[in-house]
Amino acid sequence: MVTSTSRPAAPATAPARLLRRRRVTVGSAALYTVAALAALLWLVPLLWAFATSVKPEGETTVMPPAWLTPNATFEAYAQVLGRGDIIRWTMNSLITTTIVTALTLVVCVLAAYGFSRFDFRGRGWLFALVIGGILIPPQVLIVPQFVLMTQLGLVDTYWGVALPQVVAPVFVFILKRFFDAIPRDYEDAAKMDGAGPLLVLWSVILPLSRPILTAVGIFTFIGAWNNFLWPFIVVNDPEMMTLPVGLGTVLGQYGIQYAQVMASAVLGALPLLVVYLLFQRHIVTGVAGAGIKG
Amino acid sequence: MTSQTSAPAPRTSPGAPPRADRDLVDVRRRPTTWTGLWFVLPFLAFYLLFLLWPAVVGLGYTFTDRSLAGGPLSFVGPDNWQESLTDRALYDSLWNTLWFTILSVPLMVLLALGLALLTDHARRLGWFLRLSFFAPFVLPVAVMTLIWNWMYNPSLGLFNGTLARFGVQGPEWLFSEDTAMFSVVIATAWWQVGFNYLLYLAAMQSIPKDVYEAAAIDGAGAWQRVGRITLPLLARTTALITVLQLIGSLRVFEQIYLMTMGGPNFATRTVIQYIYDSGFVGLRVGLASSMAYIFMVLIIAASIAQFRLFSRKEA
Amino acid sequence: MRDAPSPSYHAPPPAASAGPGRRAFVTGAVAAAGLAAVGCGPPDTLISGRTRLRQWNLFAGGDGLRMIEMHEAYKAEHPDIDFRATTFTWGAPFYTKVAMGAAGGRGADIATAHVSRLESLAPGRLLDPIDPAMLAEAGIDDTVVLPNIWEKCFFDGRLYAIPLDTHVLIQYYHLDVCRQAGLLDADDRLVEVSGTEEYFDMLREIKAVTGTYGLSIDTWNPWSNFWSLYRQQDGELVLGEDDYEMDDDKALAAMEVLYRLSEEGLAPRHSMLADTAANLANGQAGLMIHGNWEIPTLEATGVGFSATQFPAVFGNHRTRGDSHCYVFPHQRDRDPERTRAAVEYAAWMLRHSLTWAKGGHIPAYQPVVESPEYDELHPQSEYREAAENVQFEPQAWFSGSAGRLQEEATGALTTLHQGTQTPEQALAQLKATIRELLTVPSPV
Repeated sequence: MVTSTSRPAAPATAPARLLRRRRVTVGSAALYTVAALAALLWLVPLLWAFATSVKPEGETTVMPPAWLTPNATFEAYAQVLGRGDIIRWTMNSLITTTIVTALTLVVCVLAAYGFSRFDFRGRGWLFALVIGGILIPPQVLIVPQFVLMTQLGLVDTYWGVALPQVVAPVFVFILKRFFDAIPRDYEDAAKMDGAGPLLVLWSVILPLSRPILTAVGIFTFIGAWNNFLWPFIVVNDPEMMTLPVGLGTVLGQYGIQYAQVMASAVLGALPLLVVYLLFQRHIVTGVAGAGIKG
Repeated sequence: MTSQTSAPAPRTSPGAPPRADRDLVDVRRRPTTWTGLWFVLPFLAFYLLFLLWPAVVGLGYTFTDRSLAGGPLSFVGPDNWQESLTDRALYDSLWNTLWFTILSVPLMVLLALGLALLTDHARRLGWFLRLSFFAPFVLPVAVMTLIWNWMYNPSLGLFNGTLARFGVQGPEWLFSEDTAMFSVVIATAWWQVGFNYLLYLAAMQSIPKDVYEAAAIDGAGAWQRVGRITLPLLARTTALITVLQLIGSLRVFEQIYLMTMGGPNFATRTVIQYIYDSGFVGLRVGLASSMAYIFMVLIIAASIAQFRLFSRKEA
Repeated sequence: MRDAPSPSYHAPPPAASAGPGRRAFVTGAVAAAGLAAVGCGPPDTLISGRTRLRQWNLFAGGDGLRMIEMHEAYKAEHPDIDFRATTFTWGAPFYTKVAMGAAGGRGADIATAHVSRLESLAPGRLLDPIDPAMLAEAGIDDTVVLPNIWEKCFFDGRLYAIPLDTHVLIQYYHLDVCRQAGLLDADDRLVEVSGTEEYFDMLREIKAVTGTYGLSIDTWNPWSNFWSLYRQQDGELVLGEDDYEMDDDKALAAMEVLYRLSEEGLAPRHSMLADTAANLANGQAGLMIHGNWEIPTLEATGVGFSATQFPAVFGNHRTRGDSHCYVFPHQRDRDPERTRAAVEYAAWMLRHSLTWAKGGHIPAYQPVVESPEYDELHPQSEYREAAENVQFEPQAWFSGSAGRLQEEATGALTTLHQGTQTPEQALAQLKATIRELLTVPSPV
């Protein structure tokens, strides 16, 4: 709409152009107003959480609700951080998420490369088996998976949280298709220099695959960071909890201290919001890639 | 649907030739070796141990009275299956899951479309709109539920407090059987719509400008251009988003568990929560596994049906 | 495992090139390898030389604050113990975490529980036994705890629980209202009545003063009230393998009381959560039957009140009760040093349970109950005999506080207050519920 007003090419008669231009301007003003209001409305929950978190505890429950307080304070943040739980949960999330992301990338890249570049007995049905795994909703396997963890002794450990999350057949599929499309000519030179398959993968395939690796890495990271169900099942010890699980299950003890509850929410939101702002372009194009190609 | 997606040409590589069928030829010509298997092996190990093995032994559990508390194990035949299949509460929870899906899918598709249209047209606000609409998507679920539970609080929350200012007595939100599911759906839409929104936005922005320009020359107004060009060209994206959203909604658990714990009076208990309740709260591994299998069969059937439907439309 | 939609099914080759490429990849791998060294277990346990002691509990609200107060004192006295307590949501979520942690073998060193839930926690498998000799060394044995509670802590002849308190239903009374109704003696104690009709007469006199109700009672958690009234008549509930015995006449008599209370307008038809205490505090009712844990709530309102034992509706003061206790969730590698620290912690908490008693609970540790300091506690000292009149529920995997029987019986019993079912109908529904529970295979 906006762009059309500035486009000089429209071959309309002068009065008609004037007429249309005015209509569009009114229209675009309305459009921008609606868009800005919608965006503000969308921010209300986050703003309200922040507004509550900087109130003194006594003011949080005053009705009618006030957005601003003359007595703004970061007391609630000090309380929450002083308790230490959130910092510990954030560390746990960082540790488990790093394990998941690193292992997922390594394991899925190797598998995709194997499926893409080599023929071996059983390749066809093994690949079908992996792709079939996309259909299994892991949520329904929580009970036998937990039993397995008790048998392996991995309940309440970082490995117990991380390892089952590494199984991401969909990424093998995505990576394999990406590798398939890389012409073999690039590899031939390296092979003639006597490079083995690992070196070929490392020095030829991976550098060409940066965008897809970034996308897979970011989505694995966000997915693992925000995963709730599995860590909730496999971790009971509050000191081993990840951020979402800790915030969801242990916060009950703060009761009705809403400023502290909201301060916890804001602190819990921060890490990924920062990641989002840093990697905004990659995230947007990563999602976008899925859409355009779809 | 996947067959439609042309394999990506890495744009970073200069002069990548169009995809050639020589890949296949190459593979066939190469002698069979075990090298490939070594590469696949680590993934397979994870896959077998953490996905396939639980799926298989889980099926075995359904024929036993296995308890999370341990203790002697005995074979109980089809008892668990019989108990699950005749359990009203299981059907109630299946219905709750379905009801959540019915409510959330259209809302989250249409809302995403609307927000994307706004963003696509109000381009000068682009970065701000993208930030507002997508940021909630990266919040951990517990952060979302803490905030919304607080806003929904019937006596002290933002919503009812604001309504009261206008003399309106607000609803009980999460505390009434009549409104709890709707409240959860609204919060979910706010939280998760960003992903669909970005998909739509990307699709819109990939529509060539000259299509619109041509239409403008033909005298089509803004609304007409949206209705006659944008929406038809988005049909495939809409189908994709709908399928992804359906699959996602059917697997719902965490936000509902954290907001209502399945209440009030089990009005929002989903299947996955019921499996959790049976297996972990009730300790009955065998029973919970049979419920999980019933649900898994349903969900796989639904997924296959969707893929079929989708790929036929595409063809 | 992941719920966030991934860019599934469509290979996204995002435009542009830069971004964390190989270097990030390597860094990630190295980081992961480094973490492998840390392995399991929270990092700080490696550093701290103190004995690690982890306690899980289910106490929120006033009880939670008092437990924190006691823990602060405990920590100050025990600098060599690295003590940390965590509060989970009361009821099923808490018990689920205890059971899952025990199944995994890395759960808490010590956890609180209701003694009525002992069987549902699979003693011997999910709970580790406690060495009575070690506990006696720490000063706790059957000579300092009431026998009726001490014997509840055993299962198959082994000790699995250390009792902290007894908590019961008691009767609260609003001083002004009851004085106006002429029901207080010279010491402001409620006059003693015995028998159903006498009790109802008393409620009518109170209602004449308040104009609304005589008694405030929680109509949404009626099982405990029912159990008290049933046990006052010596009613037995025997839960067998797949059969049970119940005394229909006595159950009907107990239900009749609940039914008539609401039907005759002496008690509300709906009262849940905070409503019950509010109805007494604002003078809508003169009496209230509720758990002893409501004392702090009423104290906070500033209203003049006192409390006594559960009313002798059927001629005695028996009352439904339970006991908070400590249990040792199963651990794969039980550490003797930490086990001893846990036992000594529990004993310390028992010895200092005067603080705990401020929340209304009757300490299990008799030296505290018999102390002059406890005499000073008002109204706690008014109902200390209730600990001897406590009526536990029969043991079954589904009985006990926040257990399935209590939860599912609510459906039948609430209708009595609502007036939607007669006692006969409610009894039929309750019996169907119990029969249903008995057909469920025990998971423990």
